Amino acid sequence: MEKIAAAVRERAKRALATGEVDRVFAWKRGEFWYDVTPAVFETADETDELLWDSFCVANLSKYLTGAVRQGFKVGVFVKGCDALAFNQLLQDNRISRENVRLFGLPCPGMVDPEKLKKAKRYRGVRAVARAGDVLALQGKHGEQQVEAPAYLYDKCLVCRHPNPVVYDELLAEPQPVRTPDSDRFALVNELEAMSAEEKFLFWQEQFDKCIRCNACRNICPACSCEKCIFDNGESGVAAKANADSCEEQFFHLIRAYHVAGRCVDCGECSRVCPAGIPLHLLNRKIIKDIQAIYGDYEAGLDPNVPAPLATYRLDDADPFDGHQKGGKK
Amino acid sequence: MQRIGVFVCWCGSNIAGTVDVAQVAQSAAAMPGVVYAKDYQYMCSEVGQNMIKQAIAEHGLTRVVVASCSPRMHESTFRKTAAAAGLNPYLVEVANIREHCAWIHKDKAEGTKKAIALTRAAVAKATLNAPLVAGESGVEKRALVIGGGIAGLQTALDIADAGYAVDIVEKSPSIGGKMAQIDKTFPTLDCSACILTPKMVDAATHENITLYTYSEVESVSGFVGNFEVAIRQKARSVDAKKCSGCGLCAEKCPSRKAKSEFDEGLRTRGAIYIPFPQAIPNVPVIDRDECTYFKTGKCGLCSKICPASAVSFEQADEVITQRYGAIVVATGFDMIELDKFGEYQYGQHPDVITSLEFERLTNAAGPTGGKFVRPSDHKKPKKVVFVQCVGSRDTSGRGKPYCSKICCMYTAKHAMLIRDKYPDVEASVFYIDVRTPGKNFDEFQRRAVEEYGVQYIKGMVGKIFPEQDKLMVHGVDALSGETVVIDADLVVLASATKAKDDAEALGRMLSISTDTHDFFTEAHPKLRPVESHTAGIFLAGACQGPKDIPETVSQAGAAAAKAIGLLSKKKLVTNPCVTTVNEALCSGCLACEKICPYGAIAAKTIELTNNGVKETRVVAAVNEALCQGCGGCTVACRAGAIDLKGFTNRQIMAEVDAICF
Repeated sequence: MEKIAAAVRERAKRALATGEVDRVFAWKRGEFWYDVTPAVFETADETDELLWDSFCVANLSKYLTGAVRQGFKVGVFVKGCDALAFNQLLQDNRISRENVRLFGLPCPGMVDPEKLKKAKRYRGVRAVARAGDVLALQGKHGEQQVEAPAYLYDKCLVCRHPNPVVYDELLAEPQPVRTPDSDRFALVNELEAMSAEEKFLFWQEQFDKCIRCNACRNICPACSCEKCIFDNGESGVAAKANADSCEEQFFHLIRAYHVAGRCVDCGECSRVCPAGIPLHLLNRKIIKDIQAIYGDYEAGLDPNVPAPLATYRLDDADPFDGHQKGGKK
Repeated sequence: MQRIGVFVCWCGSNIAGTVDVAQVAQSAAAMPGVVYAKDYQYMCSEVGQNMIKQAIAEHGLTRVVVASCSPRMHESTFRKTAAAAGLNPYLVEVANIREHCAWIHKDKAEGTKKAIALTRAAVAKATLNAPLVAGESGVEKRALVIGGGIAGLQTALDIADAGYAVDIVEKSPSIGGKMAQIDKTFPTLDCSACILTPKMVDAATHENITLYTYSEVESVSGFVGNFEVAIRQKARSVDAKKCSGCGLCAEKCPSRKAKSEFDEGLRTRGAIYIPFPQAIPNVPVIDRDECTYFKTGKCGLCSKICPASAVSFEQADEVITQRYGAIVVATGFDMIELDKFGEYQYGQHPDVITSLEFERLTNAAGPTGGKFVRPSDHKKPKKVVFVQCVGSRDTSGRGKPYCSKICCMYTAKHAMLIRDKYPDVEASVFYIDVRTPGKNFDEFQRRAVEEYGVQYIKGMVGKIFPEQDKLMVHGVDALSGETVVIDADLVVLASATKAKDDAEALGRMLSISTDTHDFFTEAHPKLRPVESHTAGIFLAGACQGPKDIPETVSQAGAAAAKAIGLLSKKKLVTNPCVTTVNEALCSGCLACEKICPYGAIAAKTIELTNNGVKETRVVAAVNEALCQGCGGCTVACRAGAIDLKGFTNRQIMAEVDAICF
């Protein structure tokens, strides 16, 4: 991974030095060894700080919207899930393709610091190196090698697109897919098996944890509205406080429906939630239903394929199965 | 603060029977902004309207709420009333306390409570109403008639005679429809072909009529006065311009397996065929599913022998796009399948036939040349039994619950024709009721009984058993209570009529509604019988419900008159309730564009300065001339950036809040 990181840095430096792009969107080190933060690079010199490691989980696509509409040519590094998000933003007219240079990065899966912490591998670590599926935790008392898959994000373990679905150039060899697509619906199936009351209690308990920090919305590549309905004083639903439990339920359910059919299942909502609400399950349930009703459709795979929830065809499935005209028969 | 007047209508006893209208008016008087409230027996009458006008003047009303029937019924009436009193017509709001309340409830206390809630919602909405001004749109002086049967032909001829261009789209290879298959017509017994085929010729030769046969409507967009329709003209595989209609190809085609649709499967036809000798256009068509050339690449005989070299295997479907001011739907009907009626042996025994097959059997141009013989052995039958209501008035779920309306008359006709030509043949009719209202209809049926000696047996047939060369018909005479067994040679089943299988799909394409049996719904059963709920789309013939020829023709004339009335207008007043985009909120995702059925929304690139920084981005833009105010876009917009005038999000929320009061 370090070799690829060097190539990534080199490519960014060249793009900025030659004027190929005005800005590069990538990652750099944050406060701690596991802390990687999205960063904008405007000059070739700055790119020494640019990095590519097992903690580059943040999706950069959404950061492009502002720069692109100000007329800048931008370069951006995209993993598989980031590329899906990029396509979705393209379909939503939030980015124009011609102003963006896409550097594709096949992704081996990102490491979840929380999992390292839970496994008590956390203390004393100062850096983490990676070779394939082996993580080398480098600390005060030497190096410790562990198997990476045990510490990857859950979303990375069921990743169906480790390789970008769109790019101008690919900076590394493609990565294999770890599991069949059906695996990502395992938890959805469990939820579906619950009774209506159990489901309600489950979600009520989850949403009760919500502090309305809006992190899920702000990170979401499908939540790219100019002004969110929840921020609009005129809408009648804006800025509701977490005064009673139904407010959070409304917020999350409306959000799930607002991104329905456009959610690329990047899992960022759940990752950034400080309360640990498994928000992605709501979206996955909708994805599963869309696939069941309208056939194979994956948001973000191809921006030119019309989204089933935004289009109407005479031969569309009728979701009111069992209902005939004049009432249920 | 608005000065709102509330006018509560009794609608005679329609509303007042279930709603305490005085109490509604009393409660309304206390609602926010209401300065005047009054109830009256008939608010839509001249007296009622004057009451509104007077109140507007005397109390300086700025908003008017009428609690009455559906806005579909009288919204325009009350808007005119307000306009006459100098108030912008869009400041009138209707609370539907009839269809939504009085008609569907029995408990007066509950009904009154609901009527008050509905009125409160209308008052809340009216408070936020804004004055709107209607615009104008043009009218394309061309009509589309879907269906080339008698309904479509009559409509097209009437519109064309008024001087407007008409296109007829007919799905099958020839115009003529069901009427072309019929031998004689009741109640006068004149020959169907003699009265229909001249109309077919008239339509084909009329300078204002264009025929698209073997064609289907593929898509419809636009709105009243300005529809845009794509018509798929299926490949005939014969060049109509070259073909002389000599029929040599159809005669020589070696494939003879396909059943003739026109002759109800009683004889076969070639893979290349002309449906019937009087077909218009008289151009054959290749049934590609049956043609040996299309199946195996061999044969091609028709192409070799055609003296005009008109056969073209390469011909492809053609899509024609045309604009229309009005559309008339005249797609007709079908007969139900009888596979669920095993007791009648239809499909099991060749001598059990349907009435439509009987028409072909007695037709001079039919498969037997009009010679009355039974299908099994081509012998002349001695006893014929007719069974009515096969699948009509059927509540068992096997057939249709409605009366097919035409069977009593055509069965009497069939029986009479047999007895007239062959007095030695016995004819019996099993019936539930004889329903023959209509001019000279009952006289006709009585003639069958009294002059022609047709035996009518009130009762249903339980079972039919073949026994040697006879069909034993077991029925019950409901009047005597005795079992009746007739050793028939031929049994004719009056199977129920049904809507076309694709009626619902066509309805969805046209945005017109269908009823529980897929017949198209008229805008009002009494007052607007030939209009659909969608402006500019009219209905003619049996696609709207079972109908005989006289009724179909009069409805066709009525639909034509409506279409002519529309086409003759120079301008149409448009609905000012259109959507507007708040560009500051719009993200340009264009979900609205995709959902808009009228193509009224398009992308627009705007340049703006955001905190001193120049930006370019995409937003949605509404073409107000195309927008029909359906409001689909406002629901699709996640950010609430698009809003419908007259039905703004704030107004709807105010209504909801008022109901949840």
